[in-house]
Amino acid sequence: MFGVVRTVVRDPSQAEEVLQEVLLEVWRGASRFKPGRGSALAWMTTIAHRRAIDRVRAENRSAERQLRAARHAVAYDEVAETVEARLDRERVRRCLGSLTRLQCESVTLAYYGGYTFREVAALLGVPEGTVKTRMRDGLIRLRDCLGADQ
Amino acid sequence: MRLRRPELHTLAGAYALDAVPEADRARFERHLARCRACAREQRELREATARLAGAVAADPPAELVERVIAAAAQTRQLPPATGPAPAWPARLIHQVWNARRPPGPWRARRRRLALALAAVFLAAAAASGAIALTAEHNLGAAQQSDHAIAEVLNAPDAVMLTSRVKAGGAATIVMSHRDHALVFTTAGLPPLPGGRGYQLWLMGPHGDRSAGLLPAPHNGMTSPVIATGLAAADSVALTVEPAAGSGHPTSSPILMLSLTA
Repeated sequence: MFGVVRTVVRDPSQAEEVLQEVLLEVWRGASRFKPGRGSALAWMTTIAHRRAIDRVRAENRSAERQLRAARHAVAYDEVAETVEARLDRERVRRCLGSLTRLQCESVTLAYYGGYTFREVAALLGVPEGTVKTRMRDGLIRLRDCLGADQ
Repeated sequence: MRLRRPELHTLAGAYALDAVPEADRARFERHLARCRACAREQRELREATARLAGAVAADPPAELVERVIAAAAQTRQLPPATGPAPAWPARLIHQVWNARRPPGPWRARRRRLALALAAVFLAAAAASGAIALTAEHNLGAAQQSDHAIAEVLNAPDAVMLTSRVKAGGAATIVMSHRDHALVFTTAGLPPLPGGRGYQLWLMGPHGDRSAGLLPAPHNGMTSPVIATGLAAADSVALTVEPAAGSGHPTSSPILMLSLTA
């Protein structure tokens, strides 16, 4: 969870604040987690990612966020540290490589960069409707690729 | 710009990526509550985004984890909603909350237990988001071992140790010399080939005693096992053994930790 928060939020001290909030939210809600509604991993990363997104959307956008977008490709290389994460990173990277360029850019700009689909459309210079469908198609293809890979 | 209803469907991917602007988010959530197929699709897409999160997993600073653990110990968990059996951390906490008050400094004991559980739970969550939240084994046996585990975590002299494991991952140990027992749990151990398992040992002047095989990991984390018969000068060790277990260690330990106070 720290990895995804740090990737989206970037600022280390803000990332730590967000992670602290997320962990306490997970701790408080652990007994209400329902295994039938998806994996524990998805439950927790959803909370972590959403809180990270809330934080970056609340802060002022513009110059700093543009810079962050430029840097996030680098961050992606820096972060994975645990053995399990390394293995998973290889799989995810291979599966991201199987998406079309537009699918891959839409998914990674939104998830790691924290952009809305409208911002992604503006950044890539494509219609919003196209970005929305590429995000959905991209995630479906990613899910199928990762599922088949296990 | 407001979206027309038929267009809501196409937001599924953007929503799973948290890429829907505030105004449309609430409308899509209302739509999700009414559309079962959409809710199912959303769960599947969230599994994919969870893997995107897993691909950038990183260890948080140790001070942060300590800070959160201290805060968690003061934070009561929400009672479980009705449904499947709650996860082991929650089960143990409930056992303590619902127990009759034992004599002695109850508040301090309860706080200590919450602290130990929070540590085990959060250390794994913070690093990988991976926690064994589902009760996969027989509930009766689980409850019995939970009781023994809760005893150790609740002991007035309970001490917590964490250690990196040579092969990768980390182990967390809560031990009580008063109870001659320790509770052992791991996160992020490398998966083993079929036919091999991780075996836990107490080693010391009294010889090497098996404390049993670790259960299969769930989302990268093994649920706690208890090792009893702990003697003063013992160390705890972990080795890789045939899946049926060995009478004595047959490989060099990937974890060896002295337990001398």
